Amino acid sequence: MAAQRDTLSIWQVVELARHRDRPYSLDYIKRLAPDFIELHGDRISHDDPAVVAGIGTWHGLTTVFIGQQKGRNLADRVARNWGMMHPEGFRKALRMARQAVKFGFPIISLVDTPGAFPGESAEERGISSAIGAAIMEWFEIAVPVIAVVIGEGSSGGALGIAVADRVLMLENSLYTVASPEAAASIVWRDNARKVEAAAQLQITSRDLLAMGVVEEVVPEPEGGAHADYDDAARELDAALWRHMEPLLSMEAGELLQHRYERFRYVDSLVAADPRFGPKVEPKVQVPAESMDAAGS
Amino acid sequence: MYGSRLPPIALTTNCPSCGVGLVPEDLREQVYVCACGHHFRMHADAWIAMVADPGTWEERWADVRPHDLLEWKVPKPYQETIEQAREEGLNEAVRIGTAEVAGRSIWLAVFDFRFVGGTLSIVAGERLARGFEQATASRTPYVLIAATGGARMQEGVLALMQMAKVNGALSRLHRAGVPYLSVLTDPTYGGTPASLAMQGDVNIAEPGASIGFTGPRIIKQATYADLPPGFQSADFQLRCGQVDMVVPRTELRERLAHLLCLYCRGL
Repeated sequence: MAAQRDTLSIWQVVELARHRDRPYSLDYIKRLAPDFIELHGDRISHDDPAVVAGIGTWHGLTTVFIGQQKGRNLADRVARNWGMMHPEGFRKALRMARQAVKFGFPIISLVDTPGAFPGESAEERGISSAIGAAIMEWFEIAVPVIAVVIGEGSSGGALGIAVADRVLMLENSLYTVASPEAAASIVWRDNARKVEAAAQLQITSRDLLAMGVVEEVVPEPEGGAHADYDDAARELDAALWRHMEPLLSMEAGELLQHRYERFRYVDSLVAADPRFGPKVEPKVQVPAESMDAAGS
Repeated sequence: MYGSRLPPIALTTNCPSCGVGLVPEDLREQVYVCACGHHFRMHADAWIAMVADPGTWEERWADVRPHDLLEWKVPKPYQETIEQAREEGLNEAVRIGTAEVAGRSIWLAVFDFRFVGGTLSIVAGERLARGFEQATASRTPYVLIAATGGARMQEGVLALMQMAKVNGALSRLHRAGVPYLSVLTDPTYGGTPASLAMQGDVNIAEPGASIGFTGPRIIKQATYADLPPGFQSADFQLRCGQVDMVVPRTELRERLAHLLCLYCRGL
């Protein structure tokens, strides 16, 4: 596995993260919680098909699942809007999060989006304030939350459902301030420079682990997650439970304080030592105390 | 008018809206608003001079400086961008400090579009978040002046993380019952409105400002849509329920003072 990781170029990782056979949110959710029931709608105006949400049994616990969902064929992709959320999607996710607080359910949030929808309808319905409000409210959701980037995690559209106590990444996923195409369009005014942009942005799981932005990289089957859905889901399940178990016994106040500090000092590792990224060995673990130190 | 205390800003010779020849001194007196109503972009120094009572601005954390963490090289090395901006006397995309407006203490955070397009960066996020924390602790109202192109690409995912860092601190300010007024000027785009800039107790837009999440160029690229005239204008955002009011710059200071008076009664 390590050998495979070392030989992939950054763009090959991007292509794996976007592979058309890659398992999507529902593929994982149905394996993690076979009794999953999907719930719909933001209770204001719409149901956003770019994000699925619902409840199911996971390790004996009723658990809330949220996941950005892409489509498998063209009709499906159009219906799912390529996993690009509108404001009502962020509201649907928050509605489920509030429900989780009501019943004390833990939350698992799966990130897989090229970004929030960059179009007229999203702007008209206030996509900026929807994302901003979501990011704020996730800091007050007093139950354990784990977010996992399973494919693409691009821009505020990803972050809007990824304010969590732990953030994990699948090995061949990416997490970035903007998709390589959007970044190239911003920096060069030419989205054909996407490969260069991807390299500079440092968006692979090992980059993010070295920066201290994610807690763990979840290994994928040989060849990538699409090679074996069951195996990929088993690895994800093991990692999720390992991180969820200690969170379940934390007091609400302690949990929220930890979540606050996790993001408040998320850049402290690089502020302390600006040497990270592909130059560093991928197996660096973030020491807990470095998350609390400095940041100033 | 308090225009005379504003520093000079770079101007074109003619107004881009009405074409009239501009007299810099006269325009400055009108806080850089043309007689036709065109609002010229102001930089951070001008905003601070306009909003703060004379002699009350105390800048904080000006010593927190950016670093080229990703070793960003093309099309222009980030280190060079930082150094060049510093030589021009610019100190990051957000400046923050305490001030008084009509005798009332506030925290004032101002984006400077001249520094890498007013982009949200680690330093900008750190200053904004520290400001929210201090304002929460001292129960001091917080005023934001936004002029921004969104998150800074050259700081990668760490720039994205600033949206969470800042909004975490902002959620605590809101919960503590401290007022937060957000002024959106031209332009306000991307990660800044998608984090703190749209979350004011009152959102105020400047006339003619372009405000949105995704810029029109990228929307056209992504959806091939013909965007209607006035798309993402201040009036569009008012119509869409995203801002509370559109206030001419000549009236902004009075409006801020009035709002602070109303919201601070219980503090």
